[in-house]
Amino acid sequence: MFRTVRRTHDKGPAAEALRLVKVSRTYGRDDSAVTALDGVTLSLERGTFTAVMGPSGSGKSTLLQCAAGLDRPDSGIVMVDGVEMTGGSEAELTRFRRGRIGFVFQQYNLLDTLTVAQNTVLPLKLAGRRVDRRRAQEVLVSVGLGDRLGHRPDQLSGGQRQRVAIARALVTEPRVIFADEPTGALDTRSARGVLLLLREAVRVHGRTVVMVTHDPVAASYADSVVFLADGRLAGRMHAPTVDAVAERLAHLGDDVTVGV
Amino acid sequence: MFVLAIRSIRQRPGRFLATLLAAFLGAAIIMTFNSLQDTASQHGIDSVSTDTLSTSASVVGGYGTLLVFFAVTSTLTVNVRQRSRELETLRCSGATPAQLKRMVVGEAVAVALLGAILAVGPAILGGRALLGAFKDSGQVARSVNYSFGPFALQSGLGITLLASAGAAFLAVRRATHGRRRQGRARTFFTYAALVAGMVSVTATFAFSATDAALMAAPAYGAILLSVGLALLAPRLLKGLLDRLQLTGASGWLAVRNLRERADQLAGILMSLILFTAVSTATLYMQAVESDAVKASGLKKSVDAKNLETLNFTVVGIIVVFVCVMLVNSLYAATTYRAREFGGQRLAGATPGQVLRTVATETAILTITGILSGTAAALAGIIPFTMVRTDSILPHQGLGIWLTVVTVATTVTLGTSLLTARRVLRTPAVEAVALAA
Repeated sequence: MFRTVRRTHDKGPAAEALRLVKVSRTYGRDDSAVTALDGVTLSLERGTFTAVMGPSGSGKSTLLQCAAGLDRPDSGIVMVDGVEMTGGSEAELTRFRRGRIGFVFQQYNLLDTLTVAQNTVLPLKLAGRRVDRRRAQEVLVSVGLGDRLGHRPDQLSGGQRQRVAIARALVTEPRVIFADEPTGALDTRSARGVLLLLREAVRVHGRTVVMVTHDPVAASYADSVVFLADGRLAGRMHAPTVDAVAERLAHLGDDVTVGV
Repeated sequence: MFVLAIRSIRQRPGRFLATLLAAFLGAAIIMTFNSLQDTASQHGIDSVSTDTLSTSASVVGGYGTLLVFFAVTSTLTVNVRQRSRELETLRCSGATPAQLKRMVVGEAVAVALLGAILAVGPAILGGRALLGAFKDSGQVARSVNYSFGPFALQSGLGITLLASAGAAFLAVRRATHGRRRQGRARTFFTYAALVAGMVSVTATFAFSATDAALMAAPAYGAILLSVGLALLAPRLLKGLLDRLQLTGASGWLAVRNLRERADQLAGILMSLILFTAVSTATLYMQAVESDAVKASGLKKSVDAKNLETLNFTVVGIIVVFVCVMLVNSLYAATTYRAREFGGQRLAGATPGQVLRTVATETAILTITGILSGTAAALAGIIPFTMVRTDSILPHQGLGIWLTVVTVATTVTLGTSLLTARRVLRTPAVEAVALAA
């Protein structure tokens, strides 16, 4: 079903965690059509923490959804961990995502009917994988929720819920974790805790994290920042600082034509 | 506030469709049967005809009132719950609770009035047809003319409007006052219904096999028992879930979802239990009765025929009403879960897994409802059969029960799965964002 490009017998992770080639996505039809992504080509190495930034409507959410297999690009290639994601039914895309992709959303998206521990192992259950409760517990302890295993999401603060979401994303050991405005609904202190956990996932566990954000402070926790404007790449910054990112964002409109 | 109420109906007629349908059906049934009362009160009608007509009118009229109230309450509760955000917005913009109450009650009354007026025509046709059937079977004299009079009109409009206003009042009060505090009252009603049901069922043995009123005691007993079991339903469901070991992700999720939502599902379970109990008990007892009369070689009396007509009518009405209520509340409950389904899909559930979870939940719910309803029905059927014939169980076989079960299962599974499939058409990311 999926074309394996590089590793036919090698089961280890590919050096390139995520690769987009000329990915385009247009919403609507004819005269009301809006081009959200316009031929974006991007490559992210394994074990990196990348922030995607841009003004509202720049296409950063579409980029994340196309890269994560939540939306299908009109054209272009998406490769996760060296395997091309081919369009198909939602069920096929879901199976492709399992074990390859983890999510952290602004609105947490935990199930209210399940406890913290049950939410964490849910992706494993759904994928029919063996549920290692000790391992899940270790992950929850590592995100600072060791004493909240039996709680329900509505008994937790926003910061705690987001940490459950991170634990849930970590427990399947995905190649890439996509975070969509993970600190958008949090206060500064909780946001800092969440960002440090995401950075730890990269540094300690060797995961690859792609984070969409509009907050220069959040972006400064990443190894590099990719800027997006009008559905096109508008530059890249390594070792970002808050001020440099804010400065660059303020002048994004000026250098659209400069390219990467 | 009434202007706002009218405007809100005009903007979203679809939302009021279920309430309108419930009011329409209720008013149609009440007016159909109460027009028989009008017909009976005309001059120069013999006493047998009058008897037949007014008995039917009072029995079914009474049932109808109860059902209108149940159905309108159920549809309005769902309606108010779906609009909690709109009501919250109104409250934030300075509407007092009393104003909100007036708005919701005003809407309900307007919709009920429309439903009742629409029902006049069908009620006249239905009443005529019913009278014709009574004449054909010899229960009513040929010379009697049909009359749709003030009694039918007044009772139809009055009961429908009152039931709607009362139901809307209760629904909005529940919504604005937060969660219930009915614990003790509920427990009292549960045990009162169960005890009264047991007494009524036991009282069957005080009658002789040929008593005309023999069927009343076990029938009422079965209904009371089913009401008691319906009130107990959330606890029964939780008890069943504790014993259930389902494997697979869908089963695992289904059991946990149901345990959390058991209290919200009480209304659906209540409809299922009442439906199963009333239709099973009535149809089996009627079948036993008819066979016993046939075996004795006697011709059916007018009273016996009346009873048979009434029984079938009552079952028919209940089937229609409960179907409307079940479809409406299951549709609303499933639509309401778009965000939850979105969360499951983003956590790695395929659409098939979500549908299997919904199917498992509905199946567990349906089984609980059918088993409880069957238990209540058997409690009425067994004493009746023992007194009327020499055996313990009816000889009619499982056919009637299987039909009842099939209808219930088709309605619940069909509504849940079709609605869930429609809900799943929205992309997961959108579904999660919509309600956020």
